Amino acid sequence: MDLNEPRGSAAPGRGSDPPVKPAPGPAAGLNAGLTWQASGAWATEHYSVFILLLLVIVGAILSPAFLGIRNLQNIGLQTSIFGLVTLAEFLVVLTHGIDISVGSVVGLSGVLGAGLFGGSNVFVAVLIGVGVGALVGVINGYLIAYRALEPFIVTLGMLSLARGLVYVYTQGMPMQPSANDFSTVANLYVIGIPVEFLIWVAFIFIVSFVLRHTVFGRRVYAVGSSADAARAAGVPVRNTLFLVYLIAGMLSGLAGFLLAAQVEVGTPTAGNLYELTAIAGVVIGGTRLAGGKGSVFNTVVGTLIFGGITDLLVLLNINTFETEAFTGGLILGVLFLMSLHMPKWFPGRSSRAHRSPV
Amino acid sequence: MEDGWRYFVHGWTCVIEELFKVEVTPAIVGKLSEVSPGPRGSSTLPRVWDRGVLGRPFSSLPARAQRRYCLLHETSGSAPFASPAVSATSALLQTDPGHPLASDSGAPSPSPAQQSTPSMTHEVAFDLRGVSKRYPGVLALDSVSLTGYAGEVLALCGANGAGKSTLGRLLAGQEQPTAGTITVTGYDKHIRTPADADNAGILFMHQEPVIIDDFTVAENVCLKNLSSARSVKPWHFVSRKQSASTLSALSSVGLKHLPPGALGRGLGPAARQMLALSRVQVTPHQLLILDESTASATEEYFSDVCALVEHEKAAGVSVLFISHRLPEVFKIATRIAVLRDGRLITVVDTADTSPSEITTLMIGATVDAIDPPETVDEQLAPILEVIELSSGSASCVSFAVRPGEVVGLYGLIGSGRSSIVRAISGNQTRRSGTVKVNGRVVPAKNPHQAMRHGLIYVTENRHREGLFKDFTNSQNLTFAALKKFATLGVIRRKQERDRVKELMLAFQVKGEARTLTNALSGGNQQKVCIAKWLETRPDVVLLDEPTKGIDIGARQHIYQLIRDIASEGKGVVVVTSEADEALMICNRVLVLVGGHIVREFEPNSITSDLLIRTSLEGAEAWT
Repeated sequence: MDLNEPRGSAAPGRGSDPPVKPAPGPAAGLNAGLTWQASGAWATEHYSVFILLLLVIVGAILSPAFLGIRNLQNIGLQTSIFGLVTLAEFLVVLTHGIDISVGSVVGLSGVLGAGLFGGSNVFVAVLIGVGVGALVGVINGYLIAYRALEPFIVTLGMLSLARGLVYVYTQGMPMQPSANDFSTVANLYVIGIPVEFLIWVAFIFIVSFVLRHTVFGRRVYAVGSSADAARAAGVPVRNTLFLVYLIAGMLSGLAGFLLAAQVEVGTPTAGNLYELTAIAGVVIGGTRLAGGKGSVFNTVVGTLIFGGITDLLVLLNINTFETEAFTGGLILGVLFLMSLHMPKWFPGRSSRAHRSPV
Repeated sequence: MEDGWRYFVHGWTCVIEELFKVEVTPAIVGKLSEVSPGPRGSSTLPRVWDRGVLGRPFSSLPARAQRRYCLLHETSGSAPFASPAVSATSALLQTDPGHPLASDSGAPSPSPAQQSTPSMTHEVAFDLRGVSKRYPGVLALDSVSLTGYAGEVLALCGANGAGKSTLGRLLAGQEQPTAGTITVTGYDKHIRTPADADNAGILFMHQEPVIIDDFTVAENVCLKNLSSARSVKPWHFVSRKQSASTLSALSSVGLKHLPPGALGRGLGPAARQMLALSRVQVTPHQLLILDESTASATEEYFSDVCALVEHEKAAGVSVLFISHRLPEVFKIATRIAVLRDGRLITVVDTADTSPSEITTLMIGATVDAIDPPETVDEQLAPILEVIELSSGSASCVSFAVRPGEVVGLYGLIGSGRSSIVRAISGNQTRRSGTVKVNGRVVPAKNPHQAMRHGLIYVTENRHREGLFKDFTNSQNLTFAALKKFATLGVIRRKQERDRVKELMLAFQVKGEARTLTNALSGGNQQKVCIAKWLETRPDVVLLDEPTKGIDIGARQHIYQLIRDIASEGKGVVVVTSEADEALMICNRVLVLVGGHIVREFEPNSITSDLLIRTSLEGAEAWT
């Protein structure tokens, strides 16, 4: 490894003025542990990959069917819906916001897509699904960006409103679409890969590209990192925020349609607690809840971890209630682990090294 | 309406002056009326928290809340409650310096024979060995080794940013040194938290007096003794209100006239400061740190401070007196330590030195003078016109800047300097006024609008407004002008990379494109900050305190940079609070007092002394 070219934040203080002398004590330890430090930094950034690997190994041992083609296809179908919602959540969290209405939007767009106009046309259903999501996104975005309200409270209200509307519209009964080809999307496979999964992958690449290569993406990070600095640098902060909530709503709406297509019916309870899974995926992916830091790759890994665990629990014949409890427990556990501040475990980055020897 | 209000304020002013025998300052009137909440951060006390506590006795709060309160206000975490016995001991100290319990429990107490000449005892009170403190981008302290002795007053002198307060905070356990060791006699563990410092008998007097508005004077005196919930009983307070120790503590700092039951709210700044100092009398300690504690104490109180410090000295307490006001230092201190740019320059006996010598040591090598600015063609049409601008503390300010001219805005803090530039650039709302760049009116809406009109504002607050902490140098450098590097919103990465390389070279940023800007030194961060906004190709550049928190070497670069910007034919406005800086880099200096421009100077027609005097004396004339 080339020690002179450490990546990113791996070497703080590298660019400082020459006259600034390095602190005498810990410096020796730092030099000795530079390789450790670099790998430690990498591991800290991508620790979720290790969790995923661990999950795959554990899964393969516990259940032989876990790595079977059929099961992998199942996981693909499952995670593609979760994945779209998690991507939406990720964008919102990047701006130091939170959207807990995504699950309700999934439910609302699903039942409306299946129920409006009798669900006679798939394309109309897609449009309705995405449109409903966009509408919710517009309302959320307006209240949060232009009226400067707390994202948590706004989306909490929206969570209740959207779910309520679902029950009002369906009277608690599933909406049966009349179109025969309603579930075609869910049943399409390209060389064994579900098309829904491919749709998710496409959106992963789109979101990743937008965040890394466009002015808008840079602004999303900037607004999350420091809204004050973004404003001072001439960023239309409120428009950016508004757009992010709009996009999040549309992604959730699309997920809602896809879920309805998968089960061939608009279920009123669809998308229940998706916000929980989405936030968990984002958090496990290492995205900072205070905004400005996070990567699409890690978020995807976070989603896969959750998809894999849910699937594994089903394979192991654990009932849904226990699964739910397990998911919640897992989130708390991961949060606890993150609070331990990973870098401490790696020599060289340890804060112990900075303490004076007693 | 207006008149009625005035009578109301006047009436209360008289009542307060009568009751408390204090001079009523605008601050008190502001408190009384609460008409304007004041600029953010103007109050030292966190308002939200205070509201929650309002009207509740401190002891009724849960232990955790009490501890947090103390952390917030004095950052002195939970300390064991000083039992009445210990308090009595400290009360005894005032009358009997030779009391055997003079030093705190663990410390060996000086024998009576040594007490007569405490400065000769040379008993070490605290010892710093190679202490360094690094903040992101700044080395605040650079391996400082300093020893303090019991029974002496060690003054810590240095210019702004020399690291005086940092040293005090390290000693008080409020922050941890990056390297080096701190040992305090009588406490064999490391001081890691303010609570440890309390246990070690360190009493830290903060720059801003920590007085809780809703507590009575007596409660404020005993504030330090309330840190632990277990030992605090409500009736303690009642008894303390009139207790001998509280009264004697008050009278020792010249606050005899204050009724112990009065609220802290109505006190003037000087009285607040002295009230905070009175805690010295009721809190057991063996090391007293006064961090600019005389800043708002007026002449009449200063003698009390002297007496107090003399008492402490006699009692064998080691006093660390942090100040940059030399007359006071020479009156109080036995030894003087001079800090400059985080390094300890020297420690001398007060008797062996003079104020002028210390001044020279504090300032050190001054910034090399750069060439005087080029003269500007008077005939040129102004590039920036500000007409009767009112915003924040600035009212009705008009001036013009010609191309290639550097105009300085000089004034005390609060004189409206920053308000003007922030309002011009759309970072702050204007009450009235017009701003024109090249004859075109710039709307007041937001920074974005100002930038589109070729007007940029380089903030004084780099960390909050200037840079993104999660961005690399490259991302920060191109951010303001990002659209320039993009086709249809997609960034052309190669062009961005190439431009960043050029910029890093041109601005001599010592760092790599892919490291976080946060990891750079202050000077380099500032260069990135300026470069970022210059990349938008502005016509007018507004710089707010461009050399704030930057070491001397890097200042030179910034000055040259400002000069270069001007020579490109741009108009430059520099807000500064340093007279020398203003005179060195500006073609014209406008002196602001109380939100008005009172004078305009050509740099070669005035000395920095006169400039400072104008800003001070004008202040009295205008307010």
